[in-house]
Amino acid sequence: MSLPVTTQSIKPYTGEKARLVRAYDYLILVLALFLFIGSFHLHFALTVGDWDFWVDWKDRQWWPLVTPLMGITFPAAVQAVLWDKFRLPLGATLCVTALLIGTWITRIFAYHYWNFFPVNMVLPATMLPGALVLDAMLMLSNSLTITAIAGGSAFALLFYPSNWPIFALFHQPVEYANAQLTLADLFGFQYIRTGMPEYLRIIERGTLRTYGQYAAPLAAFCSALLCTLMYALWWYIGKWFATTRYLSKI
Amino acid sequence: MKIKITQWVYTLGLIILGFGGPVQTALAHGEKALEPFIRMRTIQWYDVAWSKQQFKVNEEVAVSGRFHVAEDWPVSVPKPEAAFLNVSTPGPVLIRTERWLNGKPWVNSVALQPGGDYEFKIVLKGRLPGRYHIHPFFNLKDAGQVMGPGAWLDISGNAGDFSNGVKTLNGEIVDMESVGLLNGIGWHLFWGALATGWLLWWVRRPLFISRYRMLQAGMEEVLITPTDRLIAKAVLVAVPVIVLAVNAVAVNRYPNAIPLQASLDRILPLPALVNAGQVDAEAIKAEYSVAKRAMVFTVRIDNRSDKPVRIGEFNTANVGFINPELPAVSSQAPATAAVLKLDDDTPVRPGETRTVTVTAQDASWEAEKLDGLINDADSRVGGLLFLYASEGGERYISSVSAAVIPKF
Amino acid sequence: MATTSEPMPAVTHIGKRLPWYLQDLPRYLKTFGALTVLYTSLRLYQGAFAVSAGLDSTEPAFEQYWMRLFYIELAVIAVVMTGLWAYLWFTRDRQLDKLSPKEEIRRYFTLTMWISIYTFAVYWAGSYFAEQDNSWHQVAIRDTPFTANHIIEFYFNFPLYVILGGCAWLYARTRLPLYAKGISLPLTLAVFGPFMILVSVGFNEWGHTFWFREEFFAAPIHWGFVIGVWFALGVGGILLQGVTRLIDLLDQIEDAD
Repeated sequence: MSLPVTTQSIKPYTGEKARLVRAYDYLILVLALFLFIGSFHLHFALTVGDWDFWVDWKDRQWWPLVTPLMGITFPAAVQAVLWDKFRLPLGATLCVTALLIGTWITRIFAYHYWNFFPVNMVLPATMLPGALVLDAMLMLSNSLTITAIAGGSAFALLFYPSNWPIFALFHQPVEYANAQLTLADLFGFQYIRTGMPEYLRIIERGTLRTYGQYAAPLAAFCSALLCTLMYALWWYIGKWFATTRYLSKI
Repeated sequence: MKIKITQWVYTLGLIILGFGGPVQTALAHGEKALEPFIRMRTIQWYDVAWSKQQFKVNEEVAVSGRFHVAEDWPVSVPKPEAAFLNVSTPGPVLIRTERWLNGKPWVNSVALQPGGDYEFKIVLKGRLPGRYHIHPFFNLKDAGQVMGPGAWLDISGNAGDFSNGVKTLNGEIVDMESVGLLNGIGWHLFWGALATGWLLWWVRRPLFISRYRMLQAGMEEVLITPTDRLIAKAVLVAVPVIVLAVNAVAVNRYPNAIPLQASLDRILPLPALVNAGQVDAEAIKAEYSVAKRAMVFTVRIDNRSDKPVRIGEFNTANVGFINPELPAVSSQAPATAAVLKLDDDTPVRPGETRTVTVTAQDASWEAEKLDGLINDADSRVGGLLFLYASEGGERYISSVSAAVIPKF
Repeated sequence: MATTSEPMPAVTHIGKRLPWYLQDLPRYLKTFGALTVLYTSLRLYQGAFAVSAGLDSTEPAFEQYWMRLFYIELAVIAVVMTGLWAYLWFTRDRQLDKLSPKEEIRRYFTLTMWISIYTFAVYWAGSYFAEQDNSWHQVAIRDTPFTANHIIEFYFNFPLYVILGGCAWLYARTRLPLYAKGISLPLTLAVFGPFMILVSVGFNEWGHTFWFREEFFAAPIHWGFVIGVWFALGVGGILLQGVTRLIDLLDQIEDAD
């Protein structure tokens, strides 16, 4: 993140030039909003997808591991450009907000109005608290290393507790068919999905013999480690894509 | 030509307008998707029946029946270590309230045994009014969806009347249609408002060109003000504190929350109903005449029961071929019209072993895309052969299969 | 949105209402509106005919309501692609060395609008109709690569954003000196990478045909789409190219109130 340090005072634009650069800002903001809804949502839906779509996929092991790990990618890449080149600490919040806008529109119009699934069965998870911390961390530290370690970890560790207030009530037990189920499992059984048989769920696959059933914190800490690495990796991916090179041929 | 152009313009108009005239609801639901050898030689459905086909929102309807898991399971299809008995519906227009396999209730997936016989029942409750064509079917892990026979259901009433109350173990009754919805929306709005505030805090000032230019000029301190730093510190402290606090509240509020349940049910097959031993039928050879759309089997019948038996039906992939001489029999309702012809329809006497030629000729081979079998790598036909005792009406079922030789 | 380089005859005409650098704003907004109407109409068409005629590819109604739509889409895509790309190429500026700073600034704004239109199409293809595919797979048994959602998503939305991305690329290449002199790597990545998503449709259908029957959305056979969309991050480089050039150009023009 080195920059040429040539402290020189330049005057801010005024008059027409100020209006012009502001108009350019708005154009870029509109462009970026749809870009990140479209691209981050596609990336997210095809990597986290099912864990985020369905209430009966939000388990203690895979959901808090996979979601932050795949969710920290675009935020890191966008921060690498917006902070490094513009000192704008909003890359993570912008990406996650865009993702949620796209997600909510789809859950309502594609799942509910088209195919009659109740919206509470397809509630998305939120990564916004982690994104806010990630942006604030980068701004205050101005350091890739500190943001990757502290910010990346916070992004992963905050995920489960951020979402438990939304999803805890779906984990209330019910007696059904001579067995114990959660309300979430019952959604999966009752509300018919032709392409999502129960066995397809990748949930609760560990044995947990020695850890006193503390599955979610373990998954979160594992995710924290991976998010640290993922953040740094995607920071450089973001930088690489933001090349300004012109080629003589392709 | 004129009509064709008109149709195209009409379709284009519909696309532009987004709506159109009434359409006859589709009868089929992609049940021909899988290769014929999978549909014929995995789950072999029979005796599938609906308790009723006209009912109201909130009323329940049951579909019950039997299936045999073919012994001659195709080698390229993974064994049914995990399978899920499902229902094809256009979305959850009905909800599934109960499901039974061999008399046991089950909600998860199950491991099936090739050669096993099973009885099932699914209870559904009307949710959205309409006329729907519904099939029971099996999701087979890594193999696909093997459909059972379909039926039309008419659901009348008002969608707004639907209710789905469920009692939790704590004694609370929740409405599945709305439980947790407002709470979820509320939390998304809360965090969304904070995020929007953070974004607006930054985008209200000149952004890209201005900041890039100032940063290049080394005027970094102008870009991040002390107030910005104060707010960021507040975010860094307040957000984790809020998260942990509201998490603690949720943990206390739902102390009995349990993890998602993910067991695989183990339900043993019934005592043999198919290939049960008293009357054996074995397909020795099968020839398919492409021109006549006819499958001709050579079948050896070994009657070890104490009554004479006759072949009544051959059923494969939900297409039934009925011996018209025994009109009352069918493993499906309503009976299909396809005809089964035998070169020798006289009853096979007790103790007799006889080889007969059975011809199943019908356009269904083509319409149901079963004739594609001759182009499959695994070109074996399979199905259930139903034999009936001439007196007393006992039914003997054999799951038969044979390699197919095409006759072009 | 494309115009050639004559020193802004239209500027004075529109100038009373819009500043010179936003000359193409009305066309930009109209295109946004038109695309919104188009995509919304396609979604409404799905609502009207997907369940009634789109559940089984062997039904005659499927041929009538869905395959016919597919053929219309192919025709529309072919016409739009040929028309827009040919227009942008044949109206290219052959005197880029005589371009005034103001006109070049205006063209950077128009390029930004082109890319914005491109990302708007990416929104519909990458967000709404993409995740909607999962919803439709919970209703229909997949028996064809041409499902009621694939016909719109794969064979219309994907080609359309490729066309619009190509338009942005061509606009820059034919009307802006720096993009004409060298080939912008980030712009090329941002256009050609997502184009590979269209190619990934083939991998996806092959996978679903031969070895992956399940509708698991996060499955590896879908990751071709994912890698393709990462290239959208090239927009960061386009932004930097634009910003640095605009700063230079702004230094070349006079201040005005």
